[in-house]
Amino acid sequence: MRVSGLALRKSTRRAILIWAFLAPSLLIFLLYRILPLAWNVVLSFQAWSPMKPAVFIGLDNYQEMLFDDDVFWQALWNTFGIIASAPIGIAIALGLALLVDSNIRGRDVYRTIIFLSYPLMTVAVAIIWRWMFDERVGLINYVARAAHLVDKPIPFLNSFTWALPSVIAANIWQMLGFYMVIILSGLQTIPGNLYEAAGIDGANAFHRFIRITVPLLRPSLFLCFVIGMLNSVTSFDLVYVMTGGGPGRATEILVTYIYKLGFNQTRFDYAAAVTVTFFILLLGITFLANRLSGGNAGAVERD
Amino acid sequence: MSARSRTSRLRWLRNRFVIVPLLLAVVIGGWNVWVATHDHGIVTGRVIDADGTPVADANVRLWVFNFTTFVEKMAVTTDTEGRFRFTGNPSHNIQISADKAGVGRSERIAVRLYFAAEDRELAEPLRLDKPS
Amino acid sequence: MRQRRTWPVHAALTAVSAVMLLPFYWVLKTSISGENIFAYPPSIVPHGANPFYYIDVWYAIPFARYFANSVVVSAITIAANVVLNAMAGYALTQRFRGKKLVLLLFLSCMMIPFQATIIPAYLITGRLGLLDSYLGLSLPLFSTSICIFVYKASFDAVPRSLIDAARVDGLSQWTIIWRVMIPLARSATATNVILSFIWSWNNFMWPLIVTRSPDMQTLPLGLARFLSYQEDSTGALYAFCIMVLAPGLLLFLMAQKEFVQGLAAGATKG
Repeated sequence: MRVSGLALRKSTRRAILIWAFLAPSLLIFLLYRILPLAWNVVLSFQAWSPMKPAVFIGLDNYQEMLFDDDVFWQALWNTFGIIASAPIGIAIALGLALLVDSNIRGRDVYRTIIFLSYPLMTVAVAIIWRWMFDERVGLINYVARAAHLVDKPIPFLNSFTWALPSVIAANIWQMLGFYMVIILSGLQTIPGNLYEAAGIDGANAFHRFIRITVPLLRPSLFLCFVIGMLNSVTSFDLVYVMTGGGPGRATEILVTYIYKLGFNQTRFDYAAAVTVTFFILLLGITFLANRLSGGNAGAVERD
Repeated sequence: MSARSRTSRLRWLRNRFVIVPLLLAVVIGGWNVWVATHDHGIVTGRVIDADGTPVADANVRLWVFNFTTFVEKMAVTTDTEGRFRFTGNPSHNIQISADKAGVGRSERIAVRLYFAAEDRELAEPLRLDKPS
Repeated sequence: MRQRRTWPVHAALTAVSAVMLLPFYWVLKTSISGENIFAYPPSIVPHGANPFYYIDVWYAIPFARYFANSVVVSAITIAANVVLNAMAGYALTQRFRGKKLVLLLFLSCMMIPFQATIIPAYLITGRLGLLDSYLGLSLPLFSTSICIFVYKASFDAVPRSLIDAARVDGLSQWTIIWRVMIPLARSATATNVILSFIWSWNNFMWPLIVTRSPDMQTLPLGLARFLSYQEDSTGALYAFCIMVLAPGLLLFLMAQKEFVQGLAAGATKG
């Protein structure tokens, strides 16, 4: 009896220790992840502002969002546009990874240069790209004009057609190195003897790429997509600094719209409804991407 | 990975992370010492007329950049050898002009200092070659 | 493998490197240019290069203050991340009731991007009275699922026999954690430091919301504010931009390998 009592006390002490270790992190998560999410959901069904008491109004916020708010739809489509651009970046990065993976001199230098832009401050990157896209003396316009591709300079960030592609280009430029590193680490897990076997079977380089490289890289590519998507969709800094959502609402994405609703118009309740929609959208896409790559990814790991 | 290669990699780390900040600290410290000993705000120079002879009793004005424009901060007159000397210039971005009734006035020349209140002797004299 | 010509690969990679580096060069060139930066055609190399835009910006804004704010916020975040995540990561290697639930909670938190919670997070921070303070700026980043899992994986990799041997030697639980686990999890610590540094150093949206007084602005915020009241009218903006980038760039070049490994680890384990 005494022994088991002692053991019990010891195990309780262990449990207390474990929970004490977990507590600070759990508190942070509760405070800044769970609680905000729940509060968002509650808030989205209410009419509330910091000065007035909350009133339950059911789905009114959602109704306004879906049926009366053109800006919401514009922001939603722009967000989709940015999500859709992730595969372009990944495709470019795949090509780069294959080039860098080949056994050439100076590959580390190339890799560093390509990766360089990723860990840098996005606000500064946005200012750099503002200057690159500048109508008068931006490098892009200068090159285009010097090469006689255009007669008149294109006001990239002030044009309704070009603003969003410009922001997307800057985003891809920043994410490229990251994608490449992820794909490179994926490439290194592919056993070299697979290629040798395929070479003996007479498969050419293109076949080897399609039959071996791409299927085995699928988990890495999926990872790139999910992280790239999360990163681009939430790239508030890039849009805010490069265009501020303009011209008009041409580059408004959901995150910038939520910010403006909340902190410029003080419509926290309505912003909460948009936030909930945004969150559901993200979950849906991640789930979908997981589904699309899931089966094969699991199969590869089992091999 | 052998133990040897691990320690050698660590030594490489330690070197970089100590030497670079130390170097930076030395450079910044040296620069601050230099600034501290050269920031009396003394700006000196000479005023000459169109023929190159020194002009005494010319008015020399110091303009200081303020937000978007230059405003006149102080004025002195030249001595018999045409020399002037401002003390207490607070700025890093100044302009200087000179004029004397009956002789003419100079261009307002821009002087960029490397830090606020840097002591500077103007290499080029101010030339009163414009009609006042 | 048969020998192939490498010059096409080099050519392609050089072209890509140029695309990656030219934007930096263009801004650097502008920031040291001695001539009108809006003249067309723009010069390819700076004529009459001088550092005066840097001097202008140094006196136009409290750069040192912004820098110090950024350093303080990052330091708090890094310290908190290493301590809290190591603790949580260690706890998750143990067997205890409710572990599945906790794991699920951490995993699902990973799916909540911080940007999707800013409004309640702002309100909560306000209720805590932490608006416009260093703690308020860094608190939301104190602990992250990814880093917890990085630590957990690293602690899991410590051989069981090693811990048992240490226990037989009579070392206490604390000594084992401190003398055995933490030193063996050095790469996890590096990943934690680097990830939390990047997140806090580059963070823009949260400081934008939480900061009120100019004295509390961090570097990215100061840069964006400078842009909004100078509206591209001066090369000083680009000098500021370079000054803001320089510390991060220097750190990256000093600890490249750790950066690449840390970011890849954060992504793959997350």
